[in-house]
Amino acid sequence: MILIQLVNGLMEGMTLFLIASGLTLIFGVTRIINFAHGSLFMLGAFVTYELVPLIGPGTLWGFFAAVLLAGLAVSLLGMLFEMLALRRIYGADGLMQLIVTVALVLILRDVVRMIWGPNSLSVPMPDRLMGALQIGDSYFPLFPIAVFLAGLVVVVAMIWVIYFTRAGILLRAGTDDRGMVALCGVNERLIFTAVFAAGAFLAGLAGGLAAPYGEVNHLLDTTVIVSAFIVCVIGGLGNLYGALAGALLVGLTKAIGVMYFPRLSMVLIFLIMALILIARSMGRQGGTAR
Amino acid sequence: MTDPKTLWAAVSRAALNWKLLVPLAVALELFNRLSPASSSTLLTEVAILALFATSLNLLMSFGHMVSFGHAAYFGLGAYGFTLAVTRGGLAPEMALLVGPLAAALGGLVFGALCVRLTEIYFAMLTLACAQITYTVLFQWYDVTGGDTGITGFMIPRLGLSETGYASLVLGLVALALLALWMIVKSPLGLMIRAVGQDRARAEALGLAARRVQLVAFVIAAFFAGIAGTLYAVLHGSAFPDYAGLGLTLDGLIMVVLGGLNSFAGGIWGAVIYEMLSNFVPKFIHQWELVLGLLLLGICLAMPHGFAGLLARLGWRGGKGEK
Repeated sequence: MILIQLVNGLMEGMTLFLIASGLTLIFGVTRIINFAHGSLFMLGAFVTYELVPLIGPGTLWGFFAAVLLAGLAVSLLGMLFEMLALRRIYGADGLMQLIVTVALVLILRDVVRMIWGPNSLSVPMPDRLMGALQIGDSYFPLFPIAVFLAGLVVVVAMIWVIYFTRAGILLRAGTDDRGMVALCGVNERLIFTAVFAAGAFLAGLAGGLAAPYGEVNHLLDTTVIVSAFIVCVIGGLGNLYGALAGALLVGLTKAIGVMYFPRLSMVLIFLIMALILIARSMGRQGGTAR
Repeated sequence: MTDPKTLWAAVSRAALNWKLLVPLAVALELFNRLSPASSSTLLTEVAILALFATSLNLLMSFGHMVSFGHAAYFGLGAYGFTLAVTRGGLAPEMALLVGPLAAALGGLVFGALCVRLTEIYFAMLTLACAQITYTVLFQWYDVTGGDTGITGFMIPRLGLSETGYASLVLGLVALALLALWMIVKSPLGLMIRAVGQDRARAEALGLAARRVQLVAFVIAAFFAGIAGTLYAVLHGSAFPDYAGLGLTLDGLIMVVLGGLNSFAGGIWGAVIYEMLSNFVPKFIHQWELVLGLLLLGICLAMPHGFAGLLARLGWRGGKGEK
């Protein structure tokens, strides 16, 4: 039982990481907290719901192709949003930017309700991932393992892009010193748009991957964004590895905590977060973003 | 401030525009007396939300602390009051005091944690604190009744008529707003603003920034708790949603709609928001969509909100201090 929850926790941790990493990347470059990141996750799940029956219901490649396409679709939307709305107010008060993303949350929630209705939908799992993997005497459900591995592939790809490509160099340079990058003759706006698109892609991807393992409804946005925020606070905003550690910690705590304190697993996570915050803010000026 | 003379001096130092406020109060009360019961209830809700939004605005506009979990203290106020009646066996009139105090206590505990952080981390931690409050209210069935809430434990509105309760709430909210205004104008308010505007400089001047922020946080929680208590009395019930993210966002939206950096912003925002949320759904089903688009438009076109617009048009009554 504990092993199954372990696998579930790893899967949840991985999805959380995909969301939180997008949040962190966007914050690192644009200094904007994208409150709509949970909504993008939700949209990814709904688009996957639409695409799976079209591409190949039940098949492995059909599912992953649908998830990939959903990620791209969400990424496109994120890009549009950045270009049409966020770009106009980069100079304004940080709160205004936050409120603009809150506006997107409201809009997307109603749009989703208009198109897909208020009831929960379910996305079929690929047939081949239905069963369980037997190791010794214990069985592990296949689907969470597959999602975890797929997430791992994304993580490796992300690290490769960030550390070994020109786009990654620009991203890191933009995080360190925006003005200097602009002075070097790089189109700063392009970086912003690209980062936003990438973050939205990750959120959409996560939504698609997680879709078959739970209910897909219009309330996903807020539950997801709160968890992602907790991950970011634990890991430190702008810190990718911190986000990974934080996401796995939250995922595992949630999954295993449910067994012992079924009603208070969120409180447990909160306590962990509070302890980490107190421990960290002893030394440095408490948690001011770098 | 026990001496009535110094109290009066403090009130007039607060430079209130009495010529404007007294007729406004009379007009509101007349409207309340003459209109049907349903609009009295609407008036009560607007007044309560105006207090809630203004308490949040104290943090946002003056302390520059963006709380993403202010509804927690509204909820704690409502549940503090409700539980004092159902569990503590207090008379509802006595329990009225328990709600705000419970909220202030919650503000002290969460605030002590949150003010260790700044800016966006602060916002995130307040959000997490509020979600924890919500989760506890939602899941602790034995005490809070879980998602069904607590209902039927008292006569709604303390047995007053809609109109009578509206008068009571209008009076209490006016007093609370006056108190908040005096806090903003007091030396404490100056400290809150100093820390909000330039923390490093305020600290160099010898202010204990965290302590000032904590005091501001507890004050804001206390007044949000008053709002929550009045709301629980209005409906004679308490639900977990009172502490939910939805109400927090509503509060933020009100402040932004009404205008940041002005004391009246929260009040204007609550009025506009309540009007819209009551009348728009009669024409269009997608109320959140409309609100989102409106918010987007305001942020992009009018970054100082409605009070800012009024100020720009030369109306100085709602102009803030900056």
